[in-house]
Amino acid sequence: MSSMTRWLDVEVGTDDVELNTLPGNLSLVDLHNDNEYRLLLGDLGRGEEGPRLRIFQGVRQVSDMILPDLPLAVVSLYTNESQPMSLPIIAVAFSSCIYIYRNMKLFYKYYLPSVELSTNETEIWKQLIDPVNQNPVTVSTYTESLRSIPEKILSLQSRNLLSMTVDQQLEYLEHVSSLPVMDLPDITCVTSMKMNSVDRYGAGCLIVGTEEGDVIVLESQTFAPLSQAKLCVVRKTPYQMVATGLFNVDYRLTVATREKSVCLLKREWSEGRVLFSTPEHIIAIEVMPADNSVLVICADNTLACYSKKGKKQWSLNLEHRPVSMTLVPVSHLGLTLAAVALASGHVHLYDGKARRDTIFVRDVASVMKFGQLGQEEHVFIIVTARRRTSTLTAWVVESSAPTFGHKPWLIPKKSKLFLEQSVRERENAVGMHVLFQQELTRLRLMAAKTLCEAHLKSDNSVGAGALEPVRLAAEVEGLGPVFRVTLSVENTCADKAVVGLAVLFHAHTANYKVSQPYIKVPLLAPNSKLRFPTKVEEVFDAELNPDIFFRSVTGQGGERALVKVLLLKEGRRGPVLAATIQMPPTDPMMLPYDKIQATADFGS
Amino acid sequence: MGLLDKVSSWLGNRPRVTAPVLVLGLDRAGKTSLLHALRPPDPTAQGAQQGAPQGVAPQMEHFQSGGVAFSAWDVSGAARARALWERHYRRAHALIFVVDAADHLRLVVAREELELVLAHPDMSARRVPLLVLANKSDVPGALPPDQLAGALGLARVVDRPWHVAAASARSGAGLADGIAWLARQVRDMHTPPKIQH
Repeated sequence: MSSMTRWLDVEVGTDDVELNTLPGNLSLVDLHNDNEYRLLLGDLGRGEEGPRLRIFQGVRQVSDMILPDLPLAVVSLYTNESQPMSLPIIAVAFSSCIYIYRNMKLFYKYYLPSVELSTNETEIWKQLIDPVNQNPVTVSTYTESLRSIPEKILSLQSRNLLSMTVDQQLEYLEHVSSLPVMDLPDITCVTSMKMNSVDRYGAGCLIVGTEEGDVIVLESQTFAPLSQAKLCVVRKTPYQMVATGLFNVDYRLTVATREKSVCLLKREWSEGRVLFSTPEHIIAIEVMPADNSVLVICADNTLACYSKKGKKQWSLNLEHRPVSMTLVPVSHLGLTLAAVALASGHVHLYDGKARRDTIFVRDVASVMKFGQLGQEEHVFIIVTARRRTSTLTAWVVESSAPTFGHKPWLIPKKSKLFLEQSVRERENAVGMHVLFQQELTRLRLMAAKTLCEAHLKSDNSVGAGALEPVRLAAEVEGLGPVFRVTLSVENTCADKAVVGLAVLFHAHTANYKVSQPYIKVPLLAPNSKLRFPTKVEEVFDAELNPDIFFRSVTGQGGERALVKVLLLKEGRRGPVLAATIQMPPTDPMMLPYDKIQATADFGS
Repeated sequence: MGLLDKVSSWLGNRPRVTAPVLVLGLDRAGKTSLLHALRPPDPTAQGAQQGAPQGVAPQMEHFQSGGVAFSAWDVSGAARARALWERHYRRAHALIFVVDAADHLRLVVAREELELVLAHPDMSARRVPLLVLANKSDVPGALPPDQLAGALGLARVVDRPWHVAAASARSGAGLADGIAWLARQVRDMHTPPKIQH
């Protein structure tokens, strides 16, 4: 197994690059549109060091930027498709707002829309903060009515109050003097999706999942919500989102929730639905781009694959607790692997159910990312957790590695049509064979008949045997009724001359009159050509059919207009070769005057 | 420059040995730029400097140093074109391997590719001198030649003469020294029969 792929290990930095990050905080961005991908990493910081956004070029950190709060996600996207290409913007999500950086400078702050409190709750609180009502009996009646309000629309203040004992409530209420304000909803995850095209520079939109279970799609230029949907009927908190498809065409948003289920949200749905539920908590999901099947690693040490309809397809038991997962698309081999990091320090690469490769990274790989970094297209970045300090390890896959091992052939799935056909073939094998043999015999017979006919009629236009290099060609000039037919006889042989050839015109005397129907061809030297112009006149009956005026001039004169030219050789019975000339019809305007007169009589 | 080189340059600029040299390296390492810097200044070809051709077809360049006329094959280093390198091994009398000394990430890839080149039957059987040009050595963060030699695992190359020269295609620094070394090696290898007579 280990000989299948070769990963080249690069330990980043001689001094420890101390990182504290989350899977969503890694992004590979072509920051300056120079095809030099940089790694953007939202660092949560530790101790007195605050959160920072760190930028790595290759293995070196080139810059970092102080962030105002703990970053939740780092996402890059293009805002428009105009030329010249604008630089990508970087969106960094914090607790309830998103900072947009353009050219690495803060450009816009987006706050999630706040939620109104229910009037019922405000009424109760107005009573509660009144000192007159602050005795155990009235407070308990008010808390009872607060309890009747569904918990998911209650403010944090009310929820806190309800969790207290009566004494605590009284003490708390003495200090509270203001009505509860609904705090801004918290962002839990952010991802991006292309709007119109899968092109690398295609404009994208931001997708934001909130603590309340809302999914908001934001336009990238004005940051106006394009659509907003509830994740599910019951309250579910999104935890990881994977978007596939295009916003303006069709898309699927696969969302892992903290409530042990995966939800699906599609275009123009105002409410998502639960795709499937898992027995244990979900650690990470990934969606295979080929068939939209969902890979899930769960806290019960399993890696499972569900179809896009939510049907469980297979499940694997892992030896250790899975920590993270990422997709590894290997484009030059045409397959997408799933990398699963285990708590034992191994990273397994799965192609479907089959394990293709294992990397041992000595530490727990807490965050993984695969993509282009710098100039190298296939870089596998692994952030390991080592006693609270993390180091960044990049694994470069040998992209020109010619052998990926003896992996099975990629055979496409058998289609229904193919299966039906194969069943038919198995059932009626004898009948099909007999029918095929019959048709084959019939074809052979027809070919033989045609050959025989050509031989009998001397219709062959190419000579056979010793006279093969002799060619005969004819061209017709004139408008009629007198045509000039120029025959050219050519000897293409390089070293032999031909003697005793003759040309014979074979035409029906009722139709054509040939001035010289028999021409003797003199000696034909090697590689020479002789031309014989001959007059051929179309013959008209005494009684001319007036249809003759309506023959098309450019078309062919039909069956009667065929003139056969035979090339004869002295001492041979059959002709050497034959050519058929299709004579053009005579131009009606060129008919002799008396014939025209004759047609006039015909009508009367 | 050794005494011999000087003598040869006094004796006139006529090279006695011609050597086909193969220029290899990853994409964007600076092979074409280096060769442009090596080429004798040509007043007619002013505009040819900018925009190195990214084609797969190998480009031919001619230059001379220390009595050796080199005809250099500039082969594409893109990942999918690397499989074509081996087609040129047989006719190469010298090998220039260009490395981007500032690209630490891809040093491992360069090392891997160099090992593949040297292990190829057409290469391993002959004592083809290897010159590693550490390009972009003027960029901050670039590895010095000794560290680069370590990173490329050159210590394990014992069957052929090799040399690492820090160079810069942009300023042209270090190029002449590296090529002079290569010319000396080629001359030693091909001690012309005329002199022995």
